[in-house]
Amino acid sequence: MKPYTLQAQFQADMDCPKEVVMWNYYDHEHLVGTHYKLYDKARVVAERNDWALVFRSKRMPLLPFHSSGIGFQYMDGNTMKSFHKDSLGFFLETEIDFIDLPEDRCTIRVTYRINTHPFFRVFEPFFKRLFEKWFWATWEEDAPMRIRRWKVHKLGFKEFSGIDYINRKIAKPEHLEPGKYVFDPPVRTSSPIKTVQGIERPFTQSLELGYDE
Amino acid sequence: MSTAPRQEKIPEVSAQPNSTPDRQEDYQCVASLEELKKTSQLTRWLNDHDILLYEYEGQIKALSNICRHFGGPVGYHKAKDGVFTCLWHNWRFSCVDGSCLSHPGLPLRQYPVKILDGNVYVDLLG
Repeated sequence: MKPYTLQAQFQADMDCPKEVVMWNYYDHEHLVGTHYKLYDKARVVAERNDWALVFRSKRMPLLPFHSSGIGFQYMDGNTMKSFHKDSLGFFLETEIDFIDLPEDRCTIRVTYRINTHPFFRVFEPFFKRLFEKWFWATWEEDAPMRIRRWKVHKLGFKEFSGIDYINRKIAKPEHLEPGKYVFDPPVRTSSPIKTVQGIERPFTQSLELGYDE
Repeated sequence: MSTAPRQEKIPEVSAQPNSTPDRQEDYQCVASLEELKKTSQLTRWLNDHDILLYEYEGQIKALSNICRHFGGPVGYHKAKDGVFTCLWHNWRFSCVDGSCLSHPGLPLRQYPVKILDGNVYVDLLG
């Protein structure tokens, strides 16, 4: 019997270059930080410059349980392709297209697909609703992260160092020339995420005071 | 879980010590004491400095809110047990002096603080 493809597609614009968003999608450590309410564990099993094999444990909206699974993701030009087999047995294929817009903005288009038995066609409305909620839940947590990442980049931020004029307690230079934001995977890590232990979220509840952007 | 900020009483407070008086100073108002009293911790961008202002053990202190790892917001979460945990990648910093508990060589910058007429000022060059 020919499999049926459940599909859902969403897109939104970001006020930052697409390379910043690529970094965000490729940064596995932030899953249990920025998304601590959704993800409880993450591990990079293997990684090279443009691909990664990762373990993730998360709870999706509308589902009353955590699901975990192994995912493989890689860059194909300006598209990130991700394949995730979860503990329920579903095989999710995701394509994330990063599209340039003028003035350092971009459009992100995400397509979710599951090839499954035709019986599951009746669940297509639920599938679309589930992934719509997932897309926006993660988007709302990631968007301020991307905007801030772009903002500090423009102030001269260097990873594992900071902003020079802040560290050195000097006046901010009148002209900063941070240059183009370069996405150069793999993302530099400092936690045990690449070990067998992986990393876990530090807490499940927090009093959030939020960003001041 | 996200919860609404709760009211906390700030006791009698003093500012952390300032540095030497003969150097250049650039004190700027960050917030009023009334604003700070609401949650005893707030963050604010001020002339391209992201300031984390908070009360800890009776003193008002100010740190850079920019994590030196990837630039995340250190003060997004209310501090617990004297420790800030950066939202993005969970780097941990001491409320005492901004020292980094995750990577000791990468402390947060401290800003000298002054309190004047119910407002809190920080020295951006201090």
